[in-house]
Amino acid sequence: MRADKTLHRYCYVLVCSILLLSLPVSASADSFEQLRKDSANIKTIQARFVQKKFMKILTKPLISEGGFYYVAPDSFRWEYVKPLRSVVVAYKGDTRRYIVSGGKMIEDKTGGMQAMKIVLGEVTGWMSGKFDQNPSFAATLKEGINTQITLTPVGKSMSGMIEKIEITVSKKAAAVKSVKIIENANAYTQIDFTNVEINKGINGSVFQDVE
Amino acid sequence: MKCIHLFIVIVTVLLASCQTLPVINSPMISADQRNLACPSPFLKEKYQLIHAIEITTAGNVQGAIIGITVADPSTRFVSSAIMTAEGMVLLEAQSGGEKLNILRALPPFDSGDFVINMIDDIKLIFFPPQGLLQQKGNLPDGSTACRWQAQNGDVIDVIASKPEITEIKKYSACGRLKRHIKLTQTAGNAYQSIELQGSGIVNYTLLMTLIEAQPAECELPGKEKLKVKNSEKSRRR
Repeated sequence: MRADKTLHRYCYVLVCSILLLSLPVSASADSFEQLRKDSANIKTIQARFVQKKFMKILTKPLISEGGFYYVAPDSFRWEYVKPLRSVVVAYKGDTRRYIVSGGKMIEDKTGGMQAMKIVLGEVTGWMSGKFDQNPSFAATLKEGINTQITLTPVGKSMSGMIEKIEITVSKKAAAVKSVKIIENANAYTQIDFTNVEINKGINGSVFQDVE
Repeated sequence: MKCIHLFIVIVTVLLASCQTLPVINSPMISADQRNLACPSPFLKEKYQLIHAIEITTAGNVQGAIIGITVADPSTRFVSSAIMTAEGMVLLEAQSGGEKLNILRALPPFDSGDFVINMIDDIKLIFFPPQGLLQQKGNLPDGSTACRWQAQNGDVIDVIASKPEITEIKKYSACGRLKRHIKLTQTAGNAYQSIELQGSGIVNYTLLMTLIEAQPAECELPGKEKLKVKNSEKSRRR
């Protein structure tokens, strides 16, 4: 089922972008090497996010809200609380996706988490700030009021699915501001982060209890 | 000779597999029949609706997606997209008149039949039936029902089974139930909760819960006034 694989690639891009871009970047970060140094001390990240989906068919963006938790090296929880509750959890090498049904969280069996496992294999690299060394993306960094990193897919695996990803890091707050995943001229997804907390303790149950 | 026997067997099997449609009893007095209003939960103007959709096959919940529909009853134009909670668009298509335009479709949603069936289901839910109004009256349980016959022979019943529930049933020409839709109006909107049961090679159920509904108009100045007006319209529907 190609849709499954594509969904996983999409999730991969989403999670990796967010992990990458949720890294606090020092105000003086002006190179990938500096980003790598800045990311070396990241042990945990947690944040809230608002996702806005823009499409030509929509008269106004579809807004989703949720939260994100990460504990190095490979545990994360990416959760939407509305409008459609769903959770992707990775813990000790096991990745699962859950959806709400009849008021209960049930495992989404259609997904098959193969690609998410690939994600985890990549996460270490992302978290080490090695985002310019991933052969799937060409990365550029631009300094301005904010630091902007642009990832452009290389090869055919993302072709027709994602045109590019733009990550904006606030120099002032030294934290990620937003991720923009551009699918094509008519559709993109904007994720804005708030309450980003770095290296604050996260209870392990966050990755085990999906309710 | 063998061919004739085979033909007779096939025709017999086909005839035997046909089923009888539920009986609609027309009112005895013709004036009553004229005055009987058919249930009409259908859109009156161009609307945009967003639903959370839970997909069930063989009794097991398979997954959940978000469905976006823009439907215009005056032209029977439909634009629809389905996407994951993460925002990935799996399918986007438009249908107006006889034309179907698939803007994006990821396998297995790229099958033409799948998209055609999806658009047909959307039209069945949101637009009044096309074809000849054959009968109106009451089912044996007292529900008001109207029956249309489409050009392709399909039969569509629209039934007001309870004050807050309207059902739409589509039968094949020989009476096989192909779609059973139940619209439950729980918060002032006929499309608050939609249950669609599809029967065919694969039986499936879609449980659709309304996230958002609004007239599909461009953003105009005086947006706040428009919003109030829209919410009033939603309540009326």
